[in-house]
Amino acid sequence: MQLPPKVGIGRQRSGLFTGERGFALLMVSPGLLVLILTTTFPLAYLIWSSFQNINLAMPFLDGFAGLDNYRNMMSDGRYWHAQQLTAIYTISSVFLQIAIGLGLALLVMQIPAGQWLFRIMAILPIVLAPVVVGLFWRTLMLAPEFGIVDFIVRVLGFGSVNWLGSPTPALISVIIIHTWQWTPFAFLVLLASLASLPPDIYEAARIDKANAFQRFIHITLPLIRPAIIIVVIMRSMIALSAFAAIFAATGGGPGTASEILNLYAYKTSFVELNFGYGSALAVSLLIITLGVSGILFHLRTAKRN
Amino acid sequence: MTIRRENPAKFNFKNIARRSVLKGAVSGAALLAAPAIFSGRAQAAGKYMDLESLRGANIDWRQAEGAKITIGVIPAGYFKNLEAVLPDFAELTGIDARLEMTPPGQIRQKAVLDLSSGTGTWASHAADPMYYPLYVANNWVDPLDGYLGNGKLTDNSWFQYEDILAGWRGVTSVDGKPYGIPFDGEATIQVYRKDVYDKLGLKPAETFEQFMSNAEKAHDPDNRLWGSALRGFRGAGQNMYIYPSIFRAFGGEWFDSSGRMVVNGPEAVAALEWYVKLLNNYSPQGVENWNWPDIADAFGQGTVASYIDAHGSAAIIANPEKSKVVGKIGFARWPKGPSGKRVTSIWNWSFPINAALSDKDKAATWLFIQWAASKETQAATSYAFPGAYKRTGANRTSVWGLDEYKAVLSAAGDNYIAATTESFAEDTDVEWRPRLPQWPAVGDTMATAIQSSLVGQSSVTEALNEAQRKIDAVLKG
Repeated sequence: MQLPPKVGIGRQRSGLFTGERGFALLMVSPGLLVLILTTTFPLAYLIWSSFQNINLAMPFLDGFAGLDNYRNMMSDGRYWHAQQLTAIYTISSVFLQIAIGLGLALLVMQIPAGQWLFRIMAILPIVLAPVVVGLFWRTLMLAPEFGIVDFIVRVLGFGSVNWLGSPTPALISVIIIHTWQWTPFAFLVLLASLASLPPDIYEAARIDKANAFQRFIHITLPLIRPAIIIVVIMRSMIALSAFAAIFAATGGGPGTASEILNLYAYKTSFVELNFGYGSALAVSLLIITLGVSGILFHLRTAKRN
Repeated sequence: MTIRRENPAKFNFKNIARRSVLKGAVSGAALLAAPAIFSGRAQAAGKYMDLESLRGANIDWRQAEGAKITIGVIPAGYFKNLEAVLPDFAELTGIDARLEMTPPGQIRQKAVLDLSSGTGTWASHAADPMYYPLYVANNWVDPLDGYLGNGKLTDNSWFQYEDILAGWRGVTSVDGKPYGIPFDGEATIQVYRKDVYDKLGLKPAETFEQFMSNAEKAHDPDNRLWGSALRGFRGAGQNMYIYPSIFRAFGGEWFDSSGRMVVNGPEAVAALEWYVKLLNNYSPQGVENWNWPDIADAFGQGTVASYIDAHGSAAIIANPEKSKVVGKIGFARWPKGPSGKRVTSIWNWSFPINAALSDKDKAATWLFIQWAASKETQAATSYAFPGAYKRTGANRTSVWGLDEYKAVLSAAGDNYIAATTESFAEDTDVEWRPRLPQWPAVGDTMATAIQSSLVGQSSVTEALNEAQRKIDAVLKG
């Protein structure tokens, strides 16, 4: 910049759309506008409608509801049931993804050549649309009598299990489906993180006669902790708001056995046509997701300090 | 029941080809005679139906000429047949009507979205009769008495609205006013393996106990034959389609004397227990995820000895290409419940008029509806249809009496026509399912309760009590 600083400051203060800063603002404004229209506005609308009675089945009751929707939520057994399922679904699927992903990454690290092959194979489930994954598991893998999983279980002598038709196996199934699709993500991130670890520390540890387990606990884990926490944050946020694969595989059923909060919110809004209460459910999910990721981010920075 | 003639797609193709040839002809002086050929054809019979008979109606079919309307339907054979004969409608009226196929799982949501936003995308759609109270509560569709009574729009001495099956007219009306005109529908009937029943000395069930004991006697899973099957899949149109018949046959009433909806009374408990017992003891594994096509497929593969479902499912089980049991099928009405009643479904797809349309488009839509529901089009899409699939859900008493129609139906199996027509005449019940604007929520709540108790997530009483709590909350608002 050739201008003296005083002039620059003066120009910045003179108006929103003048000067270099103004020009920059002008340039980003279309993008900003699109962002506001597509994310901020719907979000604000969602929060607004959660304080309203909007029920297409009872249009005569429409109007301001205050905290009624939230109050109803507190005494709604199905809401707490969905809440509980969401917790089970998120915690177990994220835990499994990290455990299996890390295990696989450690194994693949031992392979001297050809790691690229595993990387490519790992990408395949990730690029599938979740609806496709749900349908594929529902029909090809888990169908009673004809499914591949059921076939294997029967051959092993455990007898046929009605995977998607009984309450507990259905919940286990949707956790397995989610884990199957997203473990490769954890695997790829952790593999990259492992590959970047400095070999000299391990050499020093070996000289100090640390065994493999000690090396893993005292060197590998602390070094890759940031990567693990990032994976936990990203996967938890996605698992909390999972929808398509469960919708396609069980529709939240049988009964309400796999109806996590997101499905319940969808059903309330779009099947029962009660948009006010559905919005309140969605807002509660939003608060939970923000809270959980806030805590996790806090953990991450706390550890760093 | 299938006589192979020409493929309907082929007819469409020819028709399009003819139209584009005509367009080309406008620019070609050598083909000046073409319009004459065209109009000559138009004045004679249509391609699929007797247009002269339609023109006999004392209305101006061309009053909405040039209008363009889109109608949402499901991709089922009966609407595909209607789509195939649409060129005759265009020829008759000059209206460009297009059918948009949307899967049955999405059509209700899409219709509600369109109606609630007032965009008028679908001038009409194949409507679930249970949705009329919701539509009417929001004034989304026009009452049709004004159309039926308007001599400019309707010649009722020709159209004969009263000829449409009474139960179907009842369920598409709200407070006595019609809001939709039924196009195609069904009755639920008992279907059984005649050979199996004959061998075991069984008769089609007259009572619910007998249906259960027949299932028990025919049940032989070691030889891959299960006793019976009913819809187990969760949904207002799936398990909540079959359970209401059982509930009503047990003497259940949806509303008590004070008008409160009650779903956990003693009849409800007994009905649901009967359903759960039948499916858990005598149905193949996985039945809790079965809808009617799964049941019909299993029956067609010879693995289920009996079921109760729509009469239209005969199209699968009596089709030699899909079924191994052709010629071994018997039909009967619903068995009598403990209350002495037989209660069939009164399901039908009907056409309403979207209130958000312009007057001209409303007239065009009404002409389309009148045409589709007319005797001529019902005939042209059922027994007289040139394709392999012939509709079996005609909307009119008069059509069900025609020998040509009966000839198509009789191939399905023993007692098919009698079982179906008697069900229409005797077993329909307008209170089959609770008719109220909150049906989507109520139907889904009941569907969840039924499936929960079927898979043992909760007991019958618990599931119904939970449904009652939820329904109380829903109706309170």
